[in-house]
Amino acid sequence: MTTYIIQRLFIFFPMLLVISFLVYSGLELSPGDAVSHMISPELASTITAEQLDAMREAYGLNQSFLTRYWIWLTSMVQGDMGYSMAGGVAISEIMVKTVPATLELSMVALFFSTILGCSLGVISALKRGSGTDNSLTVAGMAGVSIPEFFFGLVAILLFAIELKWLPVGGRLLPHYETLWDRIPNIVLPSLVLALMMTAGAMRYARSSMLDVLAREFITTARSKGMPEWRVNILHGFRVALTPVVVLIGFRLPLLIGGSTIIEQVYQWPGIGSMFIRSVRASDYPLVMTISLMYVFVVLTASLIIDVLTALIDPRVRLGKE
Amino acid sequence: MKKLYVVIVAVLAHLMFISSASAQPTNSNQLSDPRVRQALCMAIDMKTIGETLFEDQIIMADSLLPNGPMKSPNLPDYSYNPEKARQLLAEANWDSNRELDMVFYYGDQLTADFMAAIQAYFADVGVKMSYRLLQGDVGAQLNSVPDDGVNGPAAVDYDLGYGARAAIAMQEYYNTFKTGLNPQTPGDPKMDALIEKINSSADPEVLKPAFFEIQEYQMEKVNICPLYYQKLFIYESNKVDRNGGAYGNAQYNYNWGITDWNVSGGTLQTNTGPVEFFEQPWYNLGLWIHNKVVFDRLLVADGALQPVGCSACESYDLAADGLSLTFKLKEGLTFHDGDDVTVEDVAWSIRTAMKAPQMHALIGNTVGSIKGADAFKDGSTDDVSGIKYNIADRVITLELTKIDPNILTTFTQFAILPKHLLGDVDPLKFQQSDFWQMPIGSGAFKITEVKMNDFAKFEPFDGYHGGKAGFDIIAYPSYDGDGNLIKNAAAGKMDYGFTKNVADVAALDAMDNMGTKAVDIPYTRMMWIMQYPKP
Repeated sequence: MTTYIIQRLFIFFPMLLVISFLVYSGLELSPGDAVSHMISPELASTITAEQLDAMREAYGLNQSFLTRYWIWLTSMVQGDMGYSMAGGVAISEIMVKTVPATLELSMVALFFSTILGCSLGVISALKRGSGTDNSLTVAGMAGVSIPEFFFGLVAILLFAIELKWLPVGGRLLPHYETLWDRIPNIVLPSLVLALMMTAGAMRYARSSMLDVLAREFITTARSKGMPEWRVNILHGFRVALTPVVVLIGFRLPLLIGGSTIIEQVYQWPGIGSMFIRSVRASDYPLVMTISLMYVFVVLTASLIIDVLTALIDPRVRLGKE
Repeated sequence: MKKLYVVIVAVLAHLMFISSASAQPTNSNQLSDPRVRQALCMAIDMKTIGETLFEDQIIMADSLLPNGPMKSPNLPDYSYNPEKARQLLAEANWDSNRELDMVFYYGDQLTADFMAAIQAYFADVGVKMSYRLLQGDVGAQLNSVPDDGVNGPAAVDYDLGYGARAAIAMQEYYNTFKTGLNPQTPGDPKMDALIEKINSSADPEVLKPAFFEIQEYQMEKVNICPLYYQKLFIYESNKVDRNGGAYGNAQYNYNWGITDWNVSGGTLQTNTGPVEFFEQPWYNLGLWIHNKVVFDRLLVADGALQPVGCSACESYDLAADGLSLTFKLKEGLTFHDGDDVTVEDVAWSIRTAMKAPQMHALIGNTVGSIKGADAFKDGSTDDVSGIKYNIADRVITLELTKIDPNILTTFTQFAILPKHLLGDVDPLKFQQSDFWQMPIGSGAFKITEVKMNDFAKFEPFDGYHGGKAGFDIIAYPSYDGDGNLIKNAAAGKMDYGFTKNVADVAALDAMDNMGTKAVDIPYTRMMWIMQYPKP
C-alpha cells in the first residue's frame, strides 16, 4: 500500500499543474477581464482607452497569458496566493474567512446525512417491500431528484417567513458571540443540504444492505441462533458499510464545493458564493486559488477513499496485480 | 383666432419634423437615413409594453432628457404608429432581408422579454431583428469609437443597442455626442456647437434655451430612440418614520434628514453592505449605504439633487464668471478616528480624484476643469496650480480653466476622505487599499463592526455637525442587485432600500410590513442606433 500511495503522490502534483493550467486557460478564453468588470458599461463611455490601459498595467493584465500564468504559479509555489483584484484583499485572508463558514455548514450536513441516510437505508432494507420501505424509497427518489434550491426556498417560506421559527439566512449578526448564538442560522441550510445528501446515502445503504442480507454468511449466522439484531447490525451492516464509506469519501470534496447553491439561497458567506462572485468578476487570482483548492480536495479524497476501502475490505490489495 | 394660428403653426412645425424624413442616408449604412430611424422608433408600442411588461411603472420618453424644467415643449412625436413606420421604411427602400443586430447588457428576464417584444413590433413593420446579451468587456464592445469620428467606419459591430443613461447633471446626456466621442452617431458641427452652449454657464435659466435647442435638434435627427424614463422605488418597513425627511433620488446623496429618523427597535436593517470591501465613494456616488452615511460632503442637495446649501462647509462662494469656487470649512469637524477634517484633506481628495480611474463622470469633469489638472495627471507636476488653501483659515479655492456648470452639484456628492489614512496609496490602485476594509469618514455614522459578506454595523457619530441619529444601522451584503430582497423583507430583515425592479415593487407592496414610494429620477432607457458605415 505504501508503494501505491507514493505512486499516487507522484502523479498528484503533475495533475494539479495540468488542471491549474487548464483553468487558467479557460479564464483567458472567457470574455472580458477584471478591469472590464470594474468599469460599468455606462462609465466606460466616459473613460479613455489610455486610462483603461493604465489600469490594466497596474494590475499586470497587459502581460502575456503565459507570463501571467508563470507569475501566478511561482507565487503559489512559494505560498503566496496573491491578492483579490476587486478589492486588493489578500486571498489567504479571504480563504480564512470563507472556508471555515463552508466547512461549518457542510460538516453539520454531512454528519446528519450520514447518520440519517445509513439508519433509514438499513430500516428500509430490513423492512423490504413494506409500506415503510416504499415510503422511504419514494422519499429518497424525491430527495435526489428535486433541486436543492427548491427545497431551500420552500424551507425558507415555511420556517422563516410563515412560522418565523428560524432566520431567513446569513451566518452572523452583531450580537452573536458564541457558537450557540449561531445555531438558529445554521439549522435550515444544513438540514436542507443534509436532506439532499441523506437521500443518496439512504439508497446506497439500502441496496448494499439488501445485497449483504442475501449472502450465505448471514444465513449461517442466523442458523447459529444469533439474535436477529446481531445478525443485521454486527454481521450485515458492518459489511454493507463498505460502499457507504466509499460514498461518504466521495462526498468529502463536497465539504468545500458542494454547498454553493445552498450558500447562495441562505446568504451563507462561504467559499462557494465567493467563487461565483470571483468568476463573474474575472478575479483570476481568486478563481485560481479556489479552483486549485477544489482540485486538491478531490484528489486527496480520492486517495483517502482508496486507502480506506483497502482497510475496510481486506480483499482489496492496492498496488498489486 | 390667435389660438387657432398657434395650433396651425404647431402642426406645421410637427409636419416639418416628419418631412425631414425625406432626407437621404448619409453613408452606405441604411440606418444613417433618418426615415429609417424614425420608423424604428414609431414601430415600438411603448405604451402597451409599459402597461404590461413594466406593470405601468415607467414613464414614456420623448427625448433623451427627462421631464422637468429643461424639457422642450416642441419635440416631434414618434409615438407608436406602425402605418407611418411602414411608409417611412418604404420611402427609404428598406432592405427587408437585412437582419438588425440588437445588443444589450442587462442580464435580467424582464430585459429579455422586452427585447422579444421589440423584435415582434419590428417584425410587424417588416424589419428583422435578432438580439444578444453582451458579455465580457461590455464597455469596449459597446462604446469603442471610430478613428474618424465623422465618416467612420464603425468600431462596434452591432446595429442597435439597448441601454441607459443615468445622469446627475443634464449635460451628461449630451456630452458624449461630441464629435469623436460617440460610438454610434457621426460627428456634426451643429451638435458640437450646441454641446458647447449647454456647458457655457452655471445658471440653469441661461442654459434652458440651449437645452431646448439641443433636444429638438437631436430628436429631429433621431440619433437615439428614447424608450422610457425609469422610476426609482424607495422601500421602507413600518418600523421607519422619516419624521418629515425628504424622499429623493436615492442613487445619490441628498438631504434626507437621517439623523432625525425614528426607527422602532433602534436598528435600521438595510442592504448594500460590503461583500469583500467597501467601494470607494467617488464612483457609485450613493449606491452603497456607507456612501450615504459614513462620508460627509462640502455641500448638500435636495431630493432632486439641486445644491441647496452647506454641509461640511460654513460658506461658499462661486465667482460671477464661474471660474473660481471658494469654500470655508466648518470649525471643529473631525473624522471618526478623531483627527481633524481640514482643507488639506479636501485638496488631497480632489488631487487623488484626478488620477483614480474609477470615477463618476460628474466628479471627473469637475476635477478635470481645475487649473493644472492635466499637468498633474500626466505627471509633469506634483501639485495642482488651481487648488489653493489655507489650513488655519479653513479656506480652499479652486480655480477653473473653463466653466463647469455642475460644479456645485459635484460638491454635493464628492466625499471628503482622510489624507492621513490614504495619503500613501497609489491612485491607480485606490480601491485596493486596506482602508476600504473599514473606512473612516466624517459623516453621520461610523463603522463599528464589519464581518465581510455577513454584515456591517454603523453607529451614530457623536461629532457629526448635523446632529446625532437615535439608531444603529446593520447593512447586509448585496452584489449586482439584491437577490435576497424579497425573502429578507418578508422575514422582517429589511427596513430601507431602493430598487428599480418593478417585479420587486409589486412583491414589496403586497407585504403588510413594507411600503414603496416611487421617485422620478433622471434615468433614460433608450435604443442606440449605429449610423456609421460598417467596415
